[in-house]
Amino acid sequence: MLELTPRALRLLDFYADGQDSRHFRLRIDAPQPGDLAVIPGQFFMLGVPGFGEAPFTYVSPPDEGGEFSALIRSSGRLTARLFELESGASLGYRGPFGKGWPLLLGARRVLVVAGGCGLAPLAGWIEEALHHAAPLQLRVLYGARSAPAQVLGRERERWRQVLPLIETLEHGGPEALRGSPLAQLDRLFAEEQPQVVLCCGPEAFMLAIAKTCVRRGVAADNVWLSVERRMHCAVGLCGHCYIADSYACVDGPTYRYDHYLQLLAHGNTGHAGGELGVGPC
Amino acid sequence: MVPSESRHFDLTCCELDSVERLRAHLAGGRTLYEVREDGQGGRHWQALTADDPTPFVAQTEPPPFAAKAFFFAEREAVFRFDGERFVAIEPTAPAQVLFGLHACDLAAVAYQDQFFAADAHYQARRAAALLVGLDCRHSCSQGFCTLVDSGPEVRAGTADLILLPTEAGWLLLIASVAGAAAVADLALPAASRDWPAQRVAHRQQVASEQGDGQWLQDGIAAINAAKVSAATWESLGLRCLVCSGCTTVCPTCSCFAPLERKLPDGSIEQERVWDSCLYEGFQKEASGHNPSALAGQRVQRFWQHKFGEGFRQTFGRYGCVGCGRCDHVCPGGIGVHAVMRKVGKPCSN
Repeated sequence: MLELTPRALRLLDFYADGQDSRHFRLRIDAPQPGDLAVIPGQFFMLGVPGFGEAPFTYVSPPDEGGEFSALIRSSGRLTARLFELESGASLGYRGPFGKGWPLLLGARRVLVVAGGCGLAPLAGWIEEALHHAAPLQLRVLYGARSAPAQVLGRERERWRQVLPLIETLEHGGPEALRGSPLAQLDRLFAEEQPQVVLCCGPEAFMLAIAKTCVRRGVAADNVWLSVERRMHCAVGLCGHCYIADSYACVDGPTYRYDHYLQLLAHGNTGHAGGELGVGPC
Repeated sequence: MVPSESRHFDLTCCELDSVERLRAHLAGGRTLYEVREDGQGGRHWQALTADDPTPFVAQTEPPPFAAKAFFFAEREAVFRFDGERFVAIEPTAPAQVLFGLHACDLAAVAYQDQFFAADAHYQARRAAALLVGLDCRHSCSQGFCTLVDSGPEVRAGTADLILLPTEAGWLLLIASVAGAAAVADLALPAASRDWPAQRVAHRQQVASEQGDGQWLQDGIAAINAAKVSAATWESLGLRCLVCSGCTTVCPTCSCFAPLERKLPDGSIEQERVWDSCLYEGFQKEASGHNPSALAGQRVQRFWQHKFGEGFRQTFGRYGCVGCGRCDHVCPGGIGVHAVMRKVGKPCSN
């Protein structure tokens, strides 16, 4: 039967990690073997008693002691309450849920593109790729509104040492990197044609990136997106996260671009999205 | 009853001298519900006692509410938080009988049996229920069961017992192991009449009353070919008053929302309550992003769920069982007949 009741989760500590965002360290009170099976890109339901549950992605997956981390941006009632809590607070946990990023790509040249908090679901994948036995030619293109809005500062600092990390800002920064990550694709494709593209950010941004990459020769079935929807139950029942006949909590949030386009053709075309950098975590 | 057990059950037919005797027998040890008029123009599912004297009336019109709420509760507690621990709240599942369910509503129960297959709350109630179906001899006013393969004769595997009305009196079809066990003590005599032919005759009669359904075929084709323009959906959306009447009465609608409430002892109980995909905020995210901000998008979603090919492939049938309730309740006049006629017309797209 489906898992509807949360397990106890402890807030261990946190630090500020980008505008209105915090990086939380959390611990599942009674970890189970299944907790280790998290695939980057999957999500969990965080329960804040009195304020409901909401989906968040893992930055680092649970270890044997049940500890994991999550980047959370304050954008609603539940997160506002979460940001008031101190270390040791009792929270709720259900997960992991949904489909994560593809792990065995059979490809070596991978371009990761993220906008705003969209970097969070990709962080775990990047970390795994760095430790992969067969090294990838991995590049990360990350766009944010401004330097203070950039998230995952410690992770980016580490990645910068070991892979090409291209960081664009809407406002500020060097002129060559000012604007949208879209503007960088010309140069990146000229340097090296990626075989696979993984992208997360506001929906309109992702669709623009995906469309451009396909036009430049990446196969549509080699482009992957992580789509945000309102998930309440996380087990494919409550209906809130529908995309045509798919439920993002079960079939997503990671979708292959060609599959996603098929869904959009037969369902709502609700992909207006927000501006770059305002995508919730 | 577990539906899969009865799917391949060979129907047997008995003479039934008195529907009321059967009803009284089934009401022993279980709570039996039947649709009754309230004297004020309404009809409701009401619990009867075994000695209830009211004669059974085979009603052509399905009741305003299908069987949905018996299994997928309109509001129920899921878990409690006591300050440290989360404790699951187990569903209560009294033995019950739903007596006189129409074929369309039984098709909807079978549909939801699949959808909620791994939901403990739904399945506990479902397993404790005995379903007594009723074959229809005539079409109801808004129904089109023959066009969506849900009636008028109760479909195999969707009921435990089936009441079959004939000119010469009642027959009872035994349709599951649970149904056979429930009536074993009645020692009903086997029927010698040609009951399959009787059912075919009913089907032909109802089919002739419901017509060829070109309007429905055209609408379904347009939806699945994605030929319905956003403007057409929006024109329908303008007529949606966001009352949630359609999703409430639709026997296959299943959306719900979480709702927390504080109990007097300080603990917090999480409930789930029926929700509607027609509500403006149904998909709105904490960031403010709303993938279905337009009324037309939400109306499109509702009909996609009823007639989308993807759902049909998953569940083996359309989400619409042809009961016509949405036509009865929609104050904006965008029930199934109006919508499918509109989207199926090439000139309107």
